[in-house]
Amino acid sequence: MAALPRESTPGYLRLLGAGLTCSVLALGAAQAQTGTEPAEDADAAAAAAADGQTHGQRAAAEAAAALAAGEADEPVILKAPAPDTRRVYVQDPAHFAAVTQQYVIDGASGRVLGMTDGGFLPHPLAAEDGSFFAQVSSVWSRIARGDREDYVEVFDSETLRPIADIAIPDDAQRFLVGTYQWMNALTPDNKTLLYYQFSPAPAVGVVDLEEQKFDRLLDVPDCYHIFPASPTVFYMNCRDGSLARVDFAGGETEVTNTEVFHTEEELLINHPAFSLRSGRLVWPTYTGKIFQMDLTEEGVNFRPPFEALTEAERADDWRPGGWQQTAYHRPSDRIYLLVDQRDEWRHKTASRFVVVMNAATGERIDMLELGHEIDSINVSQDAEPLLYGLSSGSRTLHIYDAASGQELRSVDQLGRGPQILMTHDMGA
Amino acid sequence: MNSAMTFRSALAAFLLSAVSATGAFAQDRIAVLTHAPVAAAEVPADAIVVNIDKMKYDVPELTVQAGDTVYWVNKEVMPHNVAFKKGIVGDGDFRGEMLKKDQAYAITFNEAGDFEYFCTPHPFMRGKVIVE
Ligand SMILES: [Cu+2]
Repeated sequence: MAALPRESTPGYLRLLGAGLTCSVLALGAAQAQTGTEPAEDADAAAAAAADGQTHGQRAAAEAAAALAAGEADEPVILKAPAPDTRRVYVQDPAHFAAVTQQYVIDGASGRVLGMTDGGFLPHPLAAEDGSFFAQVSSVWSRIARGDREDYVEVFDSETLRPIADIAIPDDAQRFLVGTYQWMNALTPDNKTLLYYQFSPAPAVGVVDLEEQKFDRLLDVPDCYHIFPASPTVFYMNCRDGSLARVDFAGGETEVTNTEVFHTEEELLINHPAFSLRSGRLVWPTYTGKIFQMDLTEEGVNFRPPFEALTEAERADDWRPGGWQQTAYHRPSDRIYLLVDQRDEWRHKTASRFVVVMNAATGERIDMLELGHEIDSINVSQDAEPLLYGLSSGSRTLHIYDAASGQELRSVDQLGRGPQILMTHDMGA
Repeated sequence: MNSAMTFRSALAAFLLSAVSATGAFAQDRIAVLTHAPVAAAEVPADAIVVNIDKMKYDVPELTVQAGDTVYWVNKEVMPHNVAFKKGIVGDGDFRGEMLKKDQAYAITFNEAGDFEYFCTPHPFMRGKVIVE
């Protein structure tokens, strides 16, 4: 992303900040919400937890001490700490509202580091190396009517300032749909963004992030979702039960199909987990049968499917359910699946449990009780992962220790209907 | 004669009278008799028909002569239509009305060429009319 210009804070924003005559106490609260320096923050969070203080209490004490010491209040625009594996993005589609928001959260401390605004059903994306995050979005000239404009926006990970704004042409508009994590994707080299078009015909839009321009629309078969395996090869899941391999190198589009890997009765959910770094695709069905594939530039290795739920559990109405129901932890090769007892056609209602599985053997490692109505899950990709559980209903992110399932902290007031959890896989 | 029959007869009369007056709905290369779907029963016995059933156009590739009219008839309860992407039948795109079960839609092809079409809500349903 070297081609993207990184601007410093413009003068007018500094002036705006300086013009705000807020009290020391209020500034303290603002700092608690947005964070100042990364190292200090982590220490502070640990200290706050140790002495039983909330972030707000600690900020208030600091501000009172500063006031007593005669320190002046100098309002500035803060930077978010550098991204790490425990940063988590919470996208709020807000029940199909015309404008939306995304919360940038430090999973380690449970603090909101910043926010970004989006249009209608924007699709969030994060470079695995943490170098940037982005979204594909849509706006209209009169809020929810008038001329439509689709665009790609790239954000600096620390200033959260847009460092690229790339227009998508009118005849290449994107698919407007409830946000599915892998309907759009970045290529592993972070140079290309791929988005899906449903109508008038299945197609994938190619956006060149290096040159900051829309490249072209690729004709594809009747297939959905995008799973990149190299800078110029990605896979899709097709109506006929196969995967399509799409190679778009050198201005050409070459499509080949794999074998059919599931029957018409085996309904693959809209929220598979995928590791861009390892190429592992984890795809559950409505009943919890787990299909796994390893995607490489050359082809697909289909692993033997296994059941996430036991025969007894399935007989007792245990089924997966929610929104982002699947998570995959690459370093430990573990699969996490949201499950609960439910009617067969209540697959989008929240769940209260997570099944943890060994992806290599299919063996169950644990069944975690979340203690809340959870719609979406994800995990941080560090050695001792955090399990993120997002409740759209209570608009709260619950943060658990993924090994024990113990809830460590939570972040509330996350918009109107938060649904998507995204992290950076910053490991090697 | 019940009221449904009266309606159908009136519609048929309108269709007949409209045959020579296609200007109202004319695109560059096609003409539609009426944008509203008609009852399948009103399709002439000798018409060129593409049936729609089980999420498919039953004749995915159809060859006709310039000036021929093609009727699409939906045989199932799932609504379907006939649509053309931008630049196929005119400068813009063209989107036929949705057909319920046992409804028909007619398009007259005035010029030679290949006309690829699809179903708006089901883009995986595709067909082609080759006009000679
Ligand atoms: Cu259809």
